[in-house]
Amino acid sequence: MATVSKISDKWVLVIDDLEGMRSQLRMSLSSSGFAKLHVVSNIKEALDRLAANHYDVILCDYSLGDGTNGQQFLEYLRTADLINRNTIFIMITAEQAYTNVVAAAECAPDDYILKPFTSAEFTARFEKLLDRQMYFAAIDQASDKKNWDEMILECDKRLASRDKYYFDLSKIKGVALMRNNQVAEAETLYREIITLRPLNWARLGLARTLAKQNKKDQAEALAREILHEAPQFMAAYDFLSKLMVESGDKISALEVLQKARQISPGTMNRIRELSELAVNTNQPEIAENIMRETLRKHKYSPVRQANDYALLSRALTHQGKTADALSVLQDAGKSFTDSHSKQLLALTETDVHRADGNDTLALAALDKAMSAGEISSFSPEALIALADACFALKRDEQATFLLQHAVQNNHENTTIKDKVHTVLVAAGRDPSEASALIAASTAEIIALNNEGVRRAQAGELSQAIELLSEAAQRLPNNLQILGNAALVIALDLVRNGKSADKLTQVLAFRSSLRKQSPQHPKLEQIDNMLRQLKS
Amino acid sequence: MNELYAAAIHEVKNQLAELALRLRERGDAAVEMEIAWNAARRLTKILMQDRELWVNTDTVNPADFLGALAAEYAELFPHLSIQVDTGAAPDCTFFDEALVRMALGNALHNACRFAKSQIRLTAIQKDALLMLQICDDGLGYPASLLEANGELPAAASGTGTGLGLYLAGKIARLHLNHGRQGFIELSNQPGTCFRMFLP
Repeated sequence: MATVSKISDKWVLVIDDLEGMRSQLRMSLSSSGFAKLHVVSNIKEALDRLAANHYDVILCDYSLGDGTNGQQFLEYLRTADLINRNTIFIMITAEQAYTNVVAAAECAPDDYILKPFTSAEFTARFEKLLDRQMYFAAIDQASDKKNWDEMILECDKRLASRDKYYFDLSKIKGVALMRNNQVAEAETLYREIITLRPLNWARLGLARTLAKQNKKDQAEALAREILHEAPQFMAAYDFLSKLMVESGDKISALEVLQKARQISPGTMNRIRELSELAVNTNQPEIAENIMRETLRKHKYSPVRQANDYALLSRALTHQGKTADALSVLQDAGKSFTDSHSKQLLALTETDVHRADGNDTLALAALDKAMSAGEISSFSPEALIALADACFALKRDEQATFLLQHAVQNNHENTTIKDKVHTVLVAAGRDPSEASALIAASTAEIIALNNEGVRRAQAGELSQAIELLSEAAQRLPNNLQILGNAALVIALDLVRNGKSADKLTQVLAFRSSLRKQSPQHPKLEQIDNMLRQLKS
Repeated sequence: MNELYAAAIHEVKNQLAELALRLRERGDAAVEMEIAWNAARRLTKILMQDRELWVNTDTVNPADFLGALAAEYAELFPHLSIQVDTGAAPDCTFFDEALVRMALGNALHNACRFAKSQIRLTAIQKDALLMLQICDDGLGYPASLLEANGELPAAASGTGTGLGLYLAGKIARLHLNHGRQGFIELSNQPGTCFRMFLP
């Protein structure tokens, strides 16, 4: 049982657009012993509160006045990492219909309560959730740190007792195993659960493990079987659609997501995926309808992204409605002023002008996109898209430079290399010539890395630092370079004594590496070196 | 049901629920509050009637589940003693929590109306079936409801009990496992005894 003192320590945030409901919840919560309570009426206020405080519990109404519903808000919070895994999220809904869909959503709340409810029911369920929160605290912390090994270990500790959380623990462990690339172990776990009871989450988990092991046909059959029996199991649509995209069948992928849309209005991510597929399968009118409706509904909501407007603009351009496409981008420019969004919108504008055959305006927009920030801050997707536009506007040299940078910044990433290859071939390069260019860029960065390491081993530490730091700043996503740069600076600090500048530099590289790859093997080496520094 | 009607019923249902909550805040209108509350619940049931139901079976701890249900109705019917016994059920059972909560909530609500002083909620695992039982110490079901056993009675009863039991039967039958199907069973012992069996 949850004790009163436990409850009075908890910070609670309530989000409800109806004044009557807010005061009822405030009353119920205070009489249950909650003392630290914030009550807001919309998503914007909720986000302000979340930025300033940590909450243990969030109570959110499914239908919030301004168009974005509670489920989409939860999805936004989770995608943008705005709440801890251990924060209890409770959805309040007036409609039984939603609970069916919400319960099976990819991003499900911890509990949902159907209106009307009594405060005794609420308190009873609340206490169970608080017990659960405490039980899972260590696992959730490991999850927030993205430390999958620790998460699996913490699950195993608790699984042994086979208590009432046995299936919940198994579900969480399955996710951690997949994140940790322990696909065979995950498959065994899901099969064990299915033997006990063929629960849909376990069957979908099994389908995911099959897909990872290239048994795509079996994975697809299983996902279709789940959806045949449980058409409300939304996560299976998302999985099946991704599977279809991977097999190159975008039309079937789109059909799957359209079926999903008939069941549930949809999470923002699904709406985006659907629109993207519609544009790419030459059905821009579908994308236009869905995105227009979505953006009208979420006009003042923070769940929108600049990319949503870019998608709508592309859908319009594909139908020859270039004037509309431009006005959509202009509209977006008012709300999205960060450099990443600006670049995306300018790049999309380039495409609109190109479709219009106006190369002068297209080039002006391309220049805007190029000058939106330092090239080292551009995402690989942005670099590739910019290069594509450069080729189209006969700026071959600039295009090649961008692609070389994309390869060198991610020289171990085959997906990015494949995309670079596709763009080069589309620009008229011979496939073997494209492969050679990618290979040369890769070789150049490997040689640079090896030279840095060789110099460090030869004791030429300052030359090694100069070489690797310069490269790490230029190529901040190249984890090997980043790790080695941090390592040689740490070595220099150990050998030649402390320096504030160098310490700042090594910590910056280390934190960037950790952020991009929390379990990178070089992190341990760097930390061992830094520990020597302390003693 | 046409969408406009459904939306209107939905709206009225929410207004009734809010009315009930306001009456409770006033603290001096318990009877009126209950009338509004029951009306809201009946409308919820009517809305359910019309919709295709999907089952999302997952694990449920029967002690937590029945405990929350008992707490809810103990607040609405403070003069009754509602006991929960889950000693003969495992920690993890399998059903759609939201749907079964609705079915059992309805049965428990009936029991609360007909009980003299006591109600007993029980969960027992029997031959690969989970039995959820609600028994009261009242006068028992009328003969027509016992005969119907969860089928829609020829003349829907004035109290709405028949409709609720029909919905409970529908929810039980939606639960399938290894070729077995859920069902409900009504009896008088001598008070009403509602049983839901889930595979």
